[in-house]
Amino acid sequence: MTLSPPYDSGSVAIETRGLGKAFGRRRALDSVDLLVPSGVAFGFLGPNGAGKTTLIRLLLGLAEPTRGTIRVLGHDLPAARAAALGRVGAIIEEPRFHAHLTGRENLRVHAAARGPDAHGRIGASLARVGLAAHADARVKTYSLGMRQRLGVARCLLTDPELLILDEPLNGLDPAGIQEMRRLIRELVAEGRTVLLSSHLLDEVEKTCDVAAIVDAGKVVAQGTIHQLLNGGARTVEIVCHGPADVARLLAAVPGVTRAASHEGAIHVTLGEDAPVDRQIVTALLRRLLEHGVEIERIAPAATSLEERFLTMTTRLEDQG
Amino acid sequence: MFDLRLISAEVLKLRRRRGMLILAALLTLGVALLMFAVAGIQHAGDPARYRPAGGAIAFGDTAYVLTMMAMVMGVIVGGTAGTQDIESGVFRDLAATGRSRLALFSARMTGAWAVVLPILAASMAATAVLSLVLADSAPTPDLGMIASRTAGVLVAGALSTAMAVGLSALAGSRGAVIGVLLAFFLVVQLLLIDVGVLGAARQGIPAVAIDRIADAQARGGVHVALGTAIIAVIAWGVAALGLGAWKTKTREI
Repeated sequence: MTLSPPYDSGSVAIETRGLGKAFGRRRALDSVDLLVPSGVAFGFLGPNGAGKTTLIRLLLGLAEPTRGTIRVLGHDLPAARAAALGRVGAIIEEPRFHAHLTGRENLRVHAAARGPDAHGRIGASLARVGLAAHADARVKTYSLGMRQRLGVARCLLTDPELLILDEPLNGLDPAGIQEMRRLIRELVAEGRTVLLSSHLLDEVEKTCDVAAIVDAGKVVAQGTIHQLLNGGARTVEIVCHGPADVARLLAAVPGVTRAASHEGAIHVTLGEDAPVDRQIVTALLRRLLEHGVEIERIAPAATSLEERFLTMTTRLEDQG
Repeated sequence: MFDLRLISAEVLKLRRRRGMLILAALLTLGVALLMFAVAGIQHAGDPARYRPAGGAIAFGDTAYVLTMMAMVMGVIVGGTAGTQDIESGVFRDLAATGRSRLALFSARMTGAWAVVLPILAASMAATAVLSLVLADSAPTPDLGMIASRTAGVLVAGALSTAMAVGLSALAGSRGAVIGVLLAFFLVVQLLLIDVGVLGAARQGIPAVAIDRIADAQARGGVHVALGTAIIAVIAWGVAALGLGAWKTKTREI
């Protein structure tokens, strides 16, 4: 499902059309249309193996697409690769460094591959991610969290318009996650675009303005977090106790498309043709009372991005 | 294509591998000093039986050993330079900057040379000085001999470094390539020289070509023109570097 129109897409940082990538007979990406507006934190959500890293590799020119087109910061890939990536900072999967070099030396190595101004930004980048005091320690002594921050410092060497961060929260402790979230929001506040790929739905919900959900190589939904949260079917949560097969009773109520047990409660999914809340809730209560079910609580379920994600991805279908 | 900042970064990465640099210095400068020290002790103990530690013969012998050591050193440094970005996973981040992969590859090559060749030049300089200082009554090497043998050592180091950079970039693995190239330079090519059935093809063997450039005695009686020797060395280097460059350019990461 793609929410349409997804959002105001006046200025676009990344645009892909019909993008596909196959490895032999296996399709890692299948006709991906993605629109990342400028100046936002964009969450790219998907379960492991959904194609997130493959898309990022294509965006960075590290692999050739099997079909489709890519535009990054107004430049076509791969034709204008150097121009497109000149203002892009990226962390792909776990940030990697030369372990025998210090943090500062690793940035010197990376700055050499960037423009002439990059070398002058090394100190400020290290300070910005809180690594100034450890800059002259060898990277092999760094924790994973410090490596993640050094990865962000490396991105900042190019004064990027666009940052592409693949699972940047992996391995971080709660304080590190909070720090990374703050850093991402600061970068966005400066007018930069951040594409954040993650399977940590809660973090994307807290950090991002816009998101796309990818599953089995396809974008199944994209839009603002608000649109994604409200774009799905209404759900009512009921906590009750009774001898009957409550879920089956509720599934038979007109307007209900699905009823299933979920963490000690029954989640009742309503169809588009379901009546307004007070009428459907009354109908559900009546059905339960008629069958002697004791009701503890009934309320509209607040939809989280995780629930929306699960309803859209194959993982839930497999379970269902 | 040749970016001084990229080359400087490559040199930094290699210089910080202290163990490798100490090994390289021991294999070259250390071996040369050891040869002179042993010869000096022998000569001091029994001047009638042992010739002076210096002189033209000592210079030639030391240069011959240094030629082999230059190949060993070049393989180790070149193999490291060719793979350290790939094995550490950093190559993907460097390629993601949008920089030409061929520029990154070229920097590896020139960076490795910038480490190998000064050490070899210093070793040969020390060898020349000691050959003159410790010559005693023996004839000393003339300038032509010093220049040609130094050229041979430098060419041996440059070629083995180039082949190691190219082939390790092709394979993506340092250990296997270092093993194969050491076996080739130290054993296989020397055996091939004695395989008479190869005929004139033996003129293309690196050791034969390098000996000619060094104006040293032809191994196995295989004589080659200087021009042919130079072309053979260039062909080996270009072939290995071409394979490495092709793989670097097309590798999906």
